[in-house]
Amino acid sequence: MTTEPEPTPDGDTYYLNMGPQHPSMHGVLRLLLELRGEEIVSAEPIIGYAHRAHEKMAENRNYLMFLPNTSRVDYLSGMIYNLAWCEAMERLMAIEVPERALYIRTIASELNRISSHLLWFGTFLLDLGGVTPFLYCFDDREAILDLLDSVTGSRLTYSYGRFGGVTMDVGEPFVSGTRAFLVRLRERLPAYKRLVRDNVIFRERCEGVGVITPEVAFDYGVTGPCLRASGVGFDVRRAEPYGIYDRFEFDVPTATEGDCLARFDVRVREIEESARIIDQALDGLPEGPIMPAKPKKRFKPPAGELYYAVESARGHFGTWVVSDGSEIPVRVKLRTPSFSNLSSMPDVLRGTTVADTIAIVGSIDVVLPEIDR
Amino acid sequence: MSAALHPASAPALAQALSTPHSLPHTAADLVAQPWLASLLGVGAIMAFLTLNVLFLIWAERKVSAWIQRRMGPTEVGPYGLFQTLADMLKLISKQLITPSHVDRPLYLLAPLVVFAPVVVAVSLFPFAPGLAVTDVDLGLLLVFAFAGLGIIGIFMAGWGSNNKYALLGAMRSVAQNVSYEIPLILSALAVVLLASHPEGVTLEAGTPSAHTVPLLGTSLAHITLAQEAQGYWFVLVQPVAFVIYFVAALAETNRAPFDIPEAESELVAGFHTEYSGMRFAMFFFAEYTNMLVVSMVATVLFLGGWDGPLLPGPVWFFLKTYTLLFGMIWVRWTWPRLRFDQLMRLCWGLLVPVAILNLLGAAVLAEVL
Amino acid sequence: MAGALQKIATGARSLLTGLGMTMGELWRTLVRRKAVTLQYPHEKPELSAAYRSAIQLIRFEDTGTHDCVACLACQQICPSFCIAIDGEKVEGLKKQRATEFTMDFALCSLCGLCIDVCPTTTLEYSKLYDQAGYTRDWEMDLLEPFREDEERFREEQRAREAEAAAEKARAAEAAKAAKAAKAAAAAGGEGEA
Repeated sequence: MTTEPEPTPDGDTYYLNMGPQHPSMHGVLRLLLELRGEEIVSAEPIIGYAHRAHEKMAENRNYLMFLPNTSRVDYLSGMIYNLAWCEAMERLMAIEVPERALYIRTIASELNRISSHLLWFGTFLLDLGGVTPFLYCFDDREAILDLLDSVTGSRLTYSYGRFGGVTMDVGEPFVSGTRAFLVRLRERLPAYKRLVRDNVIFRERCEGVGVITPEVAFDYGVTGPCLRASGVGFDVRRAEPYGIYDRFEFDVPTATEGDCLARFDVRVREIEESARIIDQALDGLPEGPIMPAKPKKRFKPPAGELYYAVESARGHFGTWVVSDGSEIPVRVKLRTPSFSNLSSMPDVLRGTTVADTIAIVGSIDVVLPEIDR
Repeated sequence: MSAALHPASAPALAQALSTPHSLPHTAADLVAQPWLASLLGVGAIMAFLTLNVLFLIWAERKVSAWIQRRMGPTEVGPYGLFQTLADMLKLISKQLITPSHVDRPLYLLAPLVVFAPVVVAVSLFPFAPGLAVTDVDLGLLLVFAFAGLGIIGIFMAGWGSNNKYALLGAMRSVAQNVSYEIPLILSALAVVLLASHPEGVTLEAGTPSAHTVPLLGTSLAHITLAQEAQGYWFVLVQPVAFVIYFVAALAETNRAPFDIPEAESELVAGFHTEYSGMRFAMFFFAEYTNMLVVSMVATVLFLGGWDGPLLPGPVWFFLKTYTLLFGMIWVRWTWPRLRFDQLMRLCWGLLVPVAILNLLGAAVLAEVL
Repeated sequence: MAGALQKIATGARSLLTGLGMTMGELWRTLVRRKAVTLQYPHEKPELSAAYRSAIQLIRFEDTGTHDCVACLACQQICPSFCIAIDGEKVEGLKKQRATEFTMDFALCSLCGLCIDVCPTTTLEYSKLYDQAGYTRDWEMDLLEPFREDEERFREEQRAREAEAAAEKARAAEAAKAAKAAKAAAAAGGEGEA
């Protein structure tokens, strides 16, 4: 490195490597920014620093042994990914899941979604320079982790599902604890909105910044809250209901602006909708077993393939499994939402500033291990 | 410390300098030597500043913890009070790393250039009637001049570090500080107008050498005295100037929500990215002392300095100063950070015009009062 | 102009609202002592009943030791390949006994598949949580606490199994005798008749 910026094609710009070690690159994202002053001429995300070869690992172990991997693909929605893998296997092998397990799965997934969104809320504000909301959100998220810990025994990488059900049953303390948490969450969310959403500095930083148009979103396969903030009401839970989501009443929040503020609003409203789903699932929680009466010990799906999609906290998560009838999958492909969402960045970042880059990358909520897999 | 009370101070100083030097006989004589008094004063100021920085960092950590439902440092000393002392010792004991390809003279000099002026600035303050290291006629101007010097050091640090983040931070810093000095000084001018006596004041009244001179209210002691004499603090007649001053002061000291030059989430650590150990500590020291300086200026300009009932002068002075400092800490842990262009728009689009209008208003007010 | 003033007023109000909220939190933490901090290591967290940490072997009440039969089911299912087991056939005992059971905690991903597959349900999660060290050597010998019981157990188990076998033999004998007696009785009855 020299004091002079490296020469760039028109001699007027310079390159800035933001990451892979940078306070707000959410792990190990590296953005190669071409800058003119502080204005971004071009931005290129460079990924792969957290690559752990999950898909390759799947080809070397049997279906059950891949289960712990799934919660490590996206460590913030480990529950959702875990259960997605289980549900895909159940569909592939036509395993019947008891009612109670289905309800528990829904509750756990939605709690996981709320915790993921709360963490995003905090880190987004951290990116914008507001440290305090981060701690508040972590305080509330801690309550969710405690709840999930009480049934799964783990706080982040749950490995909670099994083919045919879940590992541990939920008791009365979990049900009442969840209800108490929802009450507390509904009390605090409006306060956070007052502290953050109404703040004039926050609005100035977010309004009109990083607009993802529906066209760009479609081009890059942007999904999840980022897509819904651009005015497209696509949610896998509604579009292709999986599990028992067709039994619950919930809205798919959308906004039309497509900027950081819209993404913020959509996520906050999604927290409320998730709370609604949990309420209904708790009301309808039936008694009964959590695993089939005679769980299988060995899993040999018939030859064939399956694509199974769920709505993770970040968007459309798909698992494509190819089986040749043996105990070990031939190919597993994980379609992770952050990857597609991040792919849109070169288009979105062009013409913004360094400070906006942080806000925009923060607002699309990327989880790097999920991108690299 | 030399007992210097305006407006008598300048002639007194001149007299002290013109008398032939004689060897001191007693300790009291020794202290009466102006040069030695100044030296002792600066020493006392340095000790005070070190304590202040240690305390301020502790306070910053404690207040932020309380705001964030945490406890902050609790382990080292009572209520964790010695935590910053331990941290300081750690910083002192660290190896000084100089990255390769830095512009060595600039890189090594920068922490000193940032550090030294703020110390000088503090020595100009009257903490109580007669309690100041040096009280000069143009105290306010000097304070601003010295506070403004630090920006050169920041730019040296950013330029010399051979780091793009540092350079970006330095560029932001220079633009920001130069811009915000304008509303800062405009709002301070409004107070100076109120404290000035263009019709003149009589010096050494009752003596044969009594004479009348027009007085510009830029002496810090005089501004305090003027508030004492008028019976109200200038914040009551100049609330707008106070708000503008406070906002500009936050920007001048690179404090949130204007901590853009060192915006952690954007520029890693801004201009001091490449500094570690004691060199970093000097920047840190300067930053917190700068906070103290702007708060002390605000105390003198708007809150009547040492003026207050019952309690002795210095207690009032520091009570007011640290209340303002608490405000700065409070603000930092509440609001997110502005973007750079928004920061500039706030300065040139809102603060400067309002400050100018307010200055015109103050001129009218000064005529009326 | 009015619009701009309005904007400034709303902005200022939002900023003051924020300050009010954080002051409220400060009050709550400082005066009402509601800090959420847990002063680890002075205070220890209360672990949930389900808490998952390194696996350990269960000491059963009736035998006073574990019941690992070295079937290798857990070793085979382990996705992290962190379990190593060796076992031996013990003279006089029906089931195998584990002689070696090590687990590399540095590799373990705490998924619990081993616990699911254990046919004798002798595996459980421990509640270790404050594990830290200066090396990467986290080989855990799970049989360690059971070694001194092993001989005694084998003796007792041999006795128990012998006892059970004897019991079974006696029962068989008795049944046989009863059957014989019954037959004899029937024969005798016939004879009497």
